[in-house]
Amino acid sequence: MIELPVEHFDGIPVVRTPVDIDAANATRVRDELSAHTSQHGFELVVDLSETRYLDSAGIDMIFRLSRRMRERRATLRLVISPESELGRLAEIVGIPSAIPVHDDVAQAIDAARRSRPSERVDP
Amino acid sequence: MSELQRLDTGPAGAPPAMSDANPPEQRLEDLERVTDSALAYLSLDDMLAELLDRVRSSLNADTAAVLLLDEDRGVLVARAAKGIEEEVRQGVQIPLGRGFAGRIAAERRPIILERVSKPEIVNPILEQTGIRSLLGVPLLVEGRVIGVLHAGTLVPRSFNEDDVRLLQLAADRAALAIDNARLSEQRAVTQAMQRTLLPEALPQVPGLRFSAKYLPAGSGVKIGGDWYDVFQLPDGRVAFVIGDVVGRGVVAASVMAEIRTGVRAYLVEGHDLGAVMSLLNELLVSIGRNRSATVAIFALDLESEELSAVSAGHLPALLLAPGEKSRFVAGAQAPPLGVCPGQGYSVQELRFPAGGVLLLYTDGLVERRGESIDLGLERLASAANAAAAAAEAAGANSLTFADHVYAGLVQHVALEDDVALLAIESVALGSRLELTLEAAPRVLVGLRRTLGRWLVRHGVRPQIRFDITVAVSEAAANAIEHAYGLRDAVFNVECQYSEAEVRVTVRDTGRWRESTRSDRGRGLMIMRELMGATEVRHDESGTAVTLVKRISEAS
Repeated sequence: MIELPVEHFDGIPVVRTPVDIDAANATRVRDELSAHTSQHGFELVVDLSETRYLDSAGIDMIFRLSRRMRERRATLRLVISPESELGRLAEIVGIPSAIPVHDDVAQAIDAARRSRPSERVDP
Repeated sequence: MSELQRLDTGPAGAPPAMSDANPPEQRLEDLERVTDSALAYLSLDDMLAELLDRVRSSLNADTAAVLLLDEDRGVLVARAAKGIEEEVRQGVQIPLGRGFAGRIAAERRPIILERVSKPEIVNPILEQTGIRSLLGVPLLVEGRVIGVLHAGTLVPRSFNEDDVRLLQLAADRAALAIDNARLSEQRAVTQAMQRTLLPEALPQVPGLRFSAKYLPAGSGVKIGGDWYDVFQLPDGRVAFVIGDVVGRGVVAASVMAEIRTGVRAYLVEGHDLGAVMSLLNELLVSIGRNRSATVAIFALDLESEELSAVSAGHLPALLLAPGEKSRFVAGAQAPPLGVCPGQGYSVQELRFPAGGVLLLYTDGLVERRGESIDLGLERLASAANAAAAAAEAAGANSLTFADHVYAGLVQHVALEDDVALLAIESVALGSRLELTLEAAPRVLVGLRRTLGRWLVRHGVRPQIRFDITVAVSEAAANAIEHAYGLRDAVFNVECQYSEAEVRVTVRDTGRWRESTRSDRGRGLMIMRELMGATEVRHDESGTAVTLVKRISEAS
């Protein structure tokens, strides 16, 4: 079992994904990301800046994770370097229109901090 | 000598005071009974039980027992008994040199006790059973004592020389059977260990061809400490490992198992090669079995052709690059593992170009007694160059590279030590690239890296490389899904480069199925978006997806 590196900023977990996410490891990556969503409530940042290849199995995994988190009023945020090949692929499959995408970790943390207080208000 | 009378079997031995032995005509029959070759077909336990019964009736004795020597602990342990079954049940242990059985083993000669008395006996069961007289002989294999066979009577008895001879015959028979059983058991353990320690099959990595040879020297009972390993790292690189633990036997093999597991675990955790080697060194030092081991670890990036290497006392690897003279690389810059605590290891960076061969081996392949190692290395280099030439001439058929090298070497000299040999061939990248891959998701990463390297070689721009690589990977994932549930399924990837375009066909032999996966449509969409033309054809023989990408700026 490979443990993905995770860092916490202000209690917000930032998980760094591997160079490749494809049919071979998408389930394993999903399980590790899910573990962080259950541990730490509302926000999860997935840092894809080291990921060079994301295939349809990986993309599907990210869409599903985002949907599941939204159902629990939680937010999945992605970090994808602007102008990277991965960013272009993300555009093609419509990731930015469904999931918040940030240029770097600092931006993602900022956005997560700002959105958190409102998330905490019980409806 | 108090009440105890001890008789030797030598000519000086006193004549028997009285004999309860069977009459002479029956002696021959008795002899046949204890040397009966039919006993050889029984299992060891059954054979010993039967033999002890026959010993009892032939000698007119009440008890008979076999004790085996545990050499490591220096004790005799009851293995089989008749008339004193309690001895085995309680697992009686007699220290070597002490008591009746202990002295027989230590002195390697028969001993007769006409009257059993306390100081002579350390085993209380003999006394509790009421044994009055005892005769015991050593179990010998090629002059080594492996145990003791003794017979006893509940009435006082003077055993004579014929009795001694008969019991010694039975003992020889038992010793042979026990030794054989131990050998075959050890052989089975050895083989089982070897199977778990060497990869059953080398993994399929696109763009690489592996071949290996492992040859234990000698009888094959003593397992060697040589091993090799190949596996994929989480970052997509491929690791090759070769190692040699000093010594042979089960301890060497278990140290090798620990190192092998350590290499995999530390590498998968993401440590760099130098750190992995330091961790292994600390591991081996801490195990403290006074074993040292040489290990060399390599990690190859299939796309950049960068090969990282680190060696702890291992002989240099041989690298054959196309159009260059073969050379030894990644020689040891640090001592073997398990020697110096706190030792650091530096990583060497090399290039392993397409069309090249990397040869990893253990010292048994090149070392000959009374000869300089340089001669052995020279011999290996010329065998490898000949193998490369032969591979080029013969194409993909015939012998593997490792077979070629090995055949070239042993035709001159016999092996004196175990040999492990692993050849890694990096397939040549021309304008055409053809890969046959196992239909399993784990091949995808290697496919992408190899395709990437092939495209770099043809000067294709990064953005187009990405498009082609991702699209082909999607097509391959489809092929793998089609083969789901089929045994040993493979699929083919054919890539053709020309000035104007790159054309890739991914062909599988599985059944087309309408996927229930929601990402199926997305996979096709990705292919269409990234490639100029995408054509999917399926018939009874399978599915073929052809992807075409225009690469010339003009079009």
